[in-house]
Amino acid sequence: MKRISHAAVAPWITLFARLLLGGVLLVAGYLKTTNSAQAAASVRVYRLLPTGLANIFGYSLPWIEIGIALMLILGIWVRYSALAGGGLMLIFIIAIGQAWARKLAINCGCFGNGGLSADGKVHPGIYLAEMLRDLGLVLVAGYLYRFPRGKFGIDRIPEEISEG
Amino acid sequence: MTEKKNEPEQKKKSTDKAKKGSPAGKSKGKDNGTRNLVIGMILLVVLAGAGSALAKNRTNTHAALPSDVSVSEGYGISFNPKAPVKLDVYEDYQCPNCRNFEAVNGNYINSLVRAKKMHVVFHPITILGPESALTAAASACASDQDKFLEYHMALYQNQPTAENSGYWTNEKLALIGHSIGITSAKFDTCINTGQYTTWATNVETDAAAKNINSTPTILLNGKPIPPQDQLNLAGLKNLFKAAGVK
Repeated sequence: MKRISHAAVAPWITLFARLLLGGVLLVAGYLKTTNSAQAAASVRVYRLLPTGLANIFGYSLPWIEIGIALMLILGIWVRYSALAGGGLMLIFIIAIGQAWARKLAINCGCFGNGGLSADGKVHPGIYLAEMLRDLGLVLVAGYLYRFPRGKFGIDRIPEEISEG
Repeated sequence: MTEKKNEPEQKKKSTDKAKKGSPAGKSKGKDNGTRNLVIGMILLVVLAGAGSALAKNRTNTHAALPSDVSVSEGYGISFNPKAPVKLDVYEDYQCPNCRNFEAVNGNYINSLVRAKKMHVVFHPITILGPESALTAAASACASDQDKFLEYHMALYQNQPTAENSGYWTNEKLALIGHSIGITSAKFDTCINTGQYTTWATNVETDAAAKNINSTPTILLNGKPIPPQDQLNLAGLKNLFKAAGVK
């Protein structure tokens, strides 16, 4: 029985990682496009940005997520797309972490339905779960950064963007 | 599955690309052309989407305005601007807590408005989605018929259990108006033409700029009444009295 080398399966893992990170971003973005007012409120409640900037970010974020998602799913500029997707996840981790530390009673708003938490309470378990999920996605993005060449990607010559 | 020696090894140099697997046979130039085209399309989607979201959520100064609107008060429906104590009610007709607030305090607040004892500004925001905008616009149509308070109450009394479920339609909103005694055909036209949907966006945009993030947000002379005090009529009366409501 031959040993399966990482080199042989890496393109498939990369494909899976692209679909995972891209899929999550696509769903998260799409669900938020249906209600841009709420998407903006979801950003405001984190109290990280001045209200005006938070609104601009909130109205644009769903579309940025969709853009990164499409790049990942189609396999375009995988390295940079993974960097952008992972960067977003890092921002989310910081945002949720600081909300938790400041005891802001909010909903994540990751997949729509953001805003203040319905019962006005801080739910540490939910914050932790959301941070762990995003951390997992950062790791996925890290893999894509290291191994950007995958199956069925439009990037035919990833060497252009990565010398290996 | 183990014989993929032609598969790109991550560390191999660019000489590999001719041997790369699927989809084989395309030249480098052509591939980049396809790729750049797709990148362009994605960029277009992102810019168009974000651009339209930003444009949609801007104040439109040409919006048609219902009769009791005060532009300087965030496009809210404003009653008794000369009364000394001001109450701002940021609400969404689809929000269950707003219905609860109205059920507990609605009659009292309406009586203060009718007796001209309090300056009350209603901001029907649209944070919960499309049917919030429909209902907000319809309540402005009722305002033109001097039936805002009645219609406001009727909307909550008829609030369905699920948001954006298709319950609120123009027909339904017109029927509610008829049930509280609105007879003017202008009211139906106002609803059916969406006369005040742009106004409703302005209300939401103003609330967003003022960092209103939940409904109901009740401001007494600009200071929020905490959620735990919102469903206590006796407590609310005391708060109002302390603020100077006679």
